[in-house]
Amino acid sequence: MTIYSLYIYDRHCDCVYYQDWHRTSPIRPPPFTNFRPGVHRIPSPPSITTKESIFNTKRLSALEDVERVGNRELKGLPFDEESKLVYGVILSLRNMVKKLSGRDEAFTSYRTAQYKLHLYETLTGYRFVLLSDPNVDSLRFVLKQIYTGPFLDYVVRNPLVIMDSREEGIDNDLFRSAVDRHMRNLSMFS
Amino acid sequence: MSTGAKQYKAIGDDVWKRTDKVNAELFTLTYGALVVQLIKDYEDYAEVNKQLDKMGYNIGTRLIEDFLARTGLGRCATFAETAEVISKVAFRTFLNISPAVSFPPPTQNPTSNLPPPTEFILTFDENPLAEFAELPRDAKEGGLWFSNVLGGVIRGALEMIQLQVETEFLSDVLRGDESTELLVRLVRVLDEEQPENDE
Repeated sequence: MTIYSLYIYDRHCDCVYYQDWHRTSPIRPPPFTNFRPGVHRIPSPPSITTKESIFNTKRLSALEDVERVGNRELKGLPFDEESKLVYGVILSLRNMVKKLSGRDEAFTSYRTAQYKLHLYETLTGYRFVLLSDPNVDSLRFVLKQIYTGPFLDYVVRNPLVIMDSREEGIDNDLFRSAVDRHMRNLSMFS
Repeated sequence: MSTGAKQYKAIGDDVWKRTDKVNAELFTLTYGALVVQLIKDYEDYAEVNKQLDKMGYNIGTRLIEDFLARTGLGRCATFAETAEVISKVAFRTFLNISPAVSFPPPTQNPTSNLPPPTEFILTFDENPLAEFAELPRDAKEGGLWFSNVLGGVIRGALEMIQLQVETEFLSDVLRGDESTELLVRLVRVLDEEQPENDE
């Protein structure tokens, strides 16, 4: 039993935080055009970070090469597409659940043969999504603990984190390590 | 007192007991110093009111997370219930006061399709922000609302839970009025945002 990954979305439906643990399928970094700072720490391909001269006429083709190499090495979706898909799934399921019951009813989790998705929503529109092994019990309490613990201490009460910015995420060292510690202390981790 | 109000009072008392406290005098004096500094910086009372409201808004947008995490309360069914929660739980948790809630007679507003009540008045018997404050005549005439930050906090906090409100001080004992009253008016209930370029 284990935990795969954690996504946090804000009320503007943007992914503001991502962290993973025992992911089995790799993830690719998003293309530059869709890169948002402060969300994840997926290493980008090394050649991309080196600055190229604007006079270099081969610049574009070099980039394409990097892209191609990146595609060959890493299979799977780029991060931006994956996080959008996760959001799409919870949004659609939530709306369907609401329509079926006719009430304001919360959707909490679903399970496939490979994984289980847990959702915790706050009234302020933050959505915490956790992907775990399919055989665990509900982990919503964990998401709630992250909200009332690390999230409050290192994001809400951290004046250096701009909440609601739409430009960047909420990532910072204290928050990331606190979440990491919290997860590693769980009995279903490992 | 209705059962709902009693229940909120109990929640408020309980959360207050578990809250870390700061020295009240330090808090009051700090706030006073802040207002004085704003007056020096802007030299215009209307602008000071605006800045206090803005500060409060920024506080409110974060304070609501703290509030929800601590109390674990769910969504209120009516705006009247929201008023009770603000008075009995929120003010109690953060300032250890519990302003009285009253509802003004509904104004004729045929365009609004929100269920009544859409506004309420908080009456402060005590105000920790203004404990030692005394307004000079200049400030009174200039129209300073000394505790205007409170209105901003409520506005910011409620906006984060999809309630857009306007807040406005009606009276202040510091200005020589009989009581300190803050009006909160619901403008509209915001819709949840949809993702962009949804395919």
